[in-house]
Amino acid sequence: MSDATSHATTGAGTLSAVGHHDDHHGHHHGNFWTTYVFSTDHKVIAKQFLITGIIMAIIGIGMSTLFRLQLAFPDTSFAILEALLGKWAPDGKLDPNFYLSLVTMHGTFMVFFVLTAGLSGTFSNFLIPLQIGARDMASGFMNMLSYWFFFASSVIMVSSLFVETGPAGGGWTIYPPLSALPQAMPGSGMGMTLWLVAMTLFIASSLLGSINYITTVMNLRTQGMTFDRLPLTIWAFFLTAVIGVLSFPVLFSAALLLMFDRLLGTSFYLSDIFIGGELLHYQGGSPILFQHLFWFLGHPEVYIVLLPALGISSEVISVHARKPIFGYKAMIGSMVGIAFLSFIVWAHHMFVTGMNPFLGTVFMLFTLVIAVPSAIKAFNYITTLWKGNIRFTPPMLFAIGLVSLFITGGITGIFLGNAALDIPLHDTYFVTAHFHLVMGSASAFGLFAGVYHWFPKMFGRMMNKRLGYIHFWLTFTSLYLVFFPMHFMGLGGVARHYWSQSAFTFMEVFMPLQGFITIAAIIGFFGQFIFLYNFFSSIFIGKKASLNPWQANTLEWTTPRVPGHGNWPGDIPHVYRWPYDYSKPGVKEDYLPQHIPDAEIEYEEGFPKPATMPTPATPAQKPEVKEEAED
Amino acid sequence: MDGTTLISVAQVFLGIILLLVSLNLYLILRLKEIDPFGSWNPNKINAGLFMVFLVGGLIAAYASTQAWSEHLIFFQPAVSEHGLEIDRMMRNTMGIALFVTVLTNILLFYYAWRYQAKPGRKALYYPHNNRLEVVWTVVPAVVLTLLVFDGVGVWHNIMDEAPEDSIQIEVNGKQFDWTVRYPGADMEYGETHVSFIDEISTNTLGFNFEDKRGHDDLVVREIHVPVNKDVNMTIRSRDVLHSATLAHFRVKMDAVPGMPTSFHFKPLVTTAEMRQRTGNPDFNYEMSCQQICGGGHWNMRLVVVVESEAEYNAWIAQQQPFYAQWQEMNGANNTAEAQPEGASSDAVAIASIATAQ
Repeated sequence: MSDATSHATTGAGTLSAVGHHDDHHGHHHGNFWTTYVFSTDHKVIAKQFLITGIIMAIIGIGMSTLFRLQLAFPDTSFAILEALLGKWAPDGKLDPNFYLSLVTMHGTFMVFFVLTAGLSGTFSNFLIPLQIGARDMASGFMNMLSYWFFFASSVIMVSSLFVETGPAGGGWTIYPPLSALPQAMPGSGMGMTLWLVAMTLFIASSLLGSINYITTVMNLRTQGMTFDRLPLTIWAFFLTAVIGVLSFPVLFSAALLLMFDRLLGTSFYLSDIFIGGELLHYQGGSPILFQHLFWFLGHPEVYIVLLPALGISSEVISVHARKPIFGYKAMIGSMVGIAFLSFIVWAHHMFVTGMNPFLGTVFMLFTLVIAVPSAIKAFNYITTLWKGNIRFTPPMLFAIGLVSLFITGGITGIFLGNAALDIPLHDTYFVTAHFHLVMGSASAFGLFAGVYHWFPKMFGRMMNKRLGYIHFWLTFTSLYLVFFPMHFMGLGGVARHYWSQSAFTFMEVFMPLQGFITIAAIIGFFGQFIFLYNFFSSIFIGKKASLNPWQANTLEWTTPRVPGHGNWPGDIPHVYRWPYDYSKPGVKEDYLPQHIPDAEIEYEEGFPKPATMPTPATPAQKPEVKEEAED
Repeated sequence: MDGTTLISVAQVFLGIILLLVSLNLYLILRLKEIDPFGSWNPNKINAGLFMVFLVGGLIAAYASTQAWSEHLIFFQPAVSEHGLEIDRMMRNTMGIALFVTVLTNILLFYYAWRYQAKPGRKALYYPHNNRLEVVWTVVPAVVLTLLVFDGVGVWHNIMDEAPEDSIQIEVNGKQFDWTVRYPGADMEYGETHVSFIDEISTNTLGFNFEDKRGHDDLVVREIHVPVNKDVNMTIRSRDVLHSATLAHFRVKMDAVPGMPTSFHFKPLVTTAEMRQRTGNPDFNYEMSCQQICGGGHWNMRLVVVVESEAEYNAWIAQQQPFYAQWQEMNGANNTAEAQPEGASSDAVAIASIATAQ
């Protein structure tokens, strides 16, 4: 550890030494390995996170189409299942245990590897230094470690798909005793051990990353970049990192104790068990304890996934609607509120697990309170669009889609957060619909919006717009077609995690709906190949991007087309205003970048400059003062 | 629609998509100069598509709700007393949720369409309005406060202690079935513990037979409860987590190894009445497991019979206590002829299944 620390300080030292007049640092010093593989450059690390995330997403979404085939057509034999899965799909039909393994791994891949590391890892790394005006992260070395821990974790998690007893199968929440006892199901054997090892590395990666993000945002902002001038993306990444640092260690402890129960025979989570024809020695543990520890991370995790997407959409909507984000401070306040509340609502996942009912009351209260900041955000997005001048670019489409999914998916939270209503709805498809819309789809849309928006800065080229449109409409429609009908199944009492609905008459009537959903899911899955093609081909053959293709205000667009190591060849620009001065009255262009001093603003002809505008060139002046002057 | 039709529909769709995509790719890569879409204004098209999506989506949502509502058992009246309270809250919450979702989605898509970029237009510089912010902070807060107050009251009534004179039943989950125990004439359960489980002698619940209170306990494979009487259900598990779920009754509680849980409810509609109401002579209330518990999770079905008190008493009287069965099974005459008569043959059948496992 001390070794890592010393490296980290050296890394930071190098960076500050790089300092101001650094035209040609970086590529000269490194060979292929240090430039592209073991790079400490935040932009390269961001791309590494993105590419790894995309690979994990292909596997994760691919698994969901496989088990959707089983759900929709339990009696049909699919040659593809047998070809892909071998002994786990005898006669082309999925084995019930392996069905659960697929569901588990789909959840694990998507929640942790795609929407946590893929989203936060990519955009926190890429945007924090660029948008706050820093040469790199506070510790480039720690940043590199963060990626390589994540990479190792991904490799182990993927390799667990190939062990003889199959990958972990107890659900992504890995509740013991099911996950603790190899006798309980094949998926609780070697696959589960690898799951725990992979998650431990993942947590290490997440902590290394988060501490770095926090430190960077706190210490490396350029001159004039006060906290109330930070883009909302940075606020979102910052709060996400804070949540991560406070909650991931608790998952680590939960996983560690589970490991003890599995390997050393301790009884933290286990008691009074007779399974597989034998009585086990465990005494005095409580499975509920694990659930408390798990959801202490698990619920904040939802916001670790969602907040970056909300930050990205705030920025994207403002830029492409050519209008300041409505209620900048309210947006920050609601994100802080959500971040805080996310720590005191975890037990709403446990209303009917046998937890003391009194706790249900408390957690119901806090849970429904979360709807207030969420409502503020939704209304602020809509008001930002009002009287805007909306450019329908692919990132904007995804950002608008995100708001719709966020509302439609989020509103069902007031059912599930209400303990009494949770009794019938818990662990039905209603829950599946809820979190896939609000956490899964909305966050994925944040990822897409971010990729389309910042692709020109990442690779210096534009993605094809028209393929972007097709990709958006296909994805948006198929997501609604997949997840909206699931509300019906949930209201019909259909349970989640069911290999087949044939055993219960009230569930069996929904089989046609399962078929419909599967078709929509497969169409949506194949729609993603349009994105993949667009992404990878645009890296090489995309149209060359201009310096500021979206005419945005933030600092990353002041760098060269493809920024080198250190980001700005000359001095780091200073910041003179907040990032959302779009369509400001009197200003010639419809945007006013953060780095333009007031004295250099170009005004419209005939605009009575001195009368309504404040005196120029006082960097400390806040934008709010100007607005009040106009009111 | 059966599987094959759906698959062919999917194939057609996929074909169309592939065609569109390849056409587009061809145009981009080869024929830029005769691009037929070149003159299309993406702002107009995408903004228009948002309106199409909104209108189409609302129609589809309404139509599909109509089509499926008869199967949505949480839209049918609950068949338990507390369930009716839950239904009332469900209706209120649903009303609010629908109103908010539809309104905000309409505003979102309408504004997107209405304010598409046009040459020469400039957006309104409108960075904040504290009065508006206060409105949409306070209104949701008040609405949610009302929901919370309502919810807390209902939740407490449901989770309160069961009435003294409740019918006692105990459901025992294991991979992958349920076993039901009644306390018998003395109204008290005998002691059970996992350490007493002996599958060979069919003692799958782990009775401690030294505890005489357990000698009259009934062990069966169906829940029978009288209508309009409080039922206190104790829920146990001997291996992993399960969840005893009675969807029609709005009952759900996890079965936790090492920690018995409970849920009490009052059934209001008998199985016979429900068969008339649904027009389905084979209708049965069903208990399912809704906490992932392994490969057989999907198949932990238990039939629940709600009947008149007379029918219930008659059914109870037919049952032979488990202890007697166990003695017969493991006593001197441990042969097939020792099978008791009547309804309790069910229990013996179960026992033999358990032994086979």
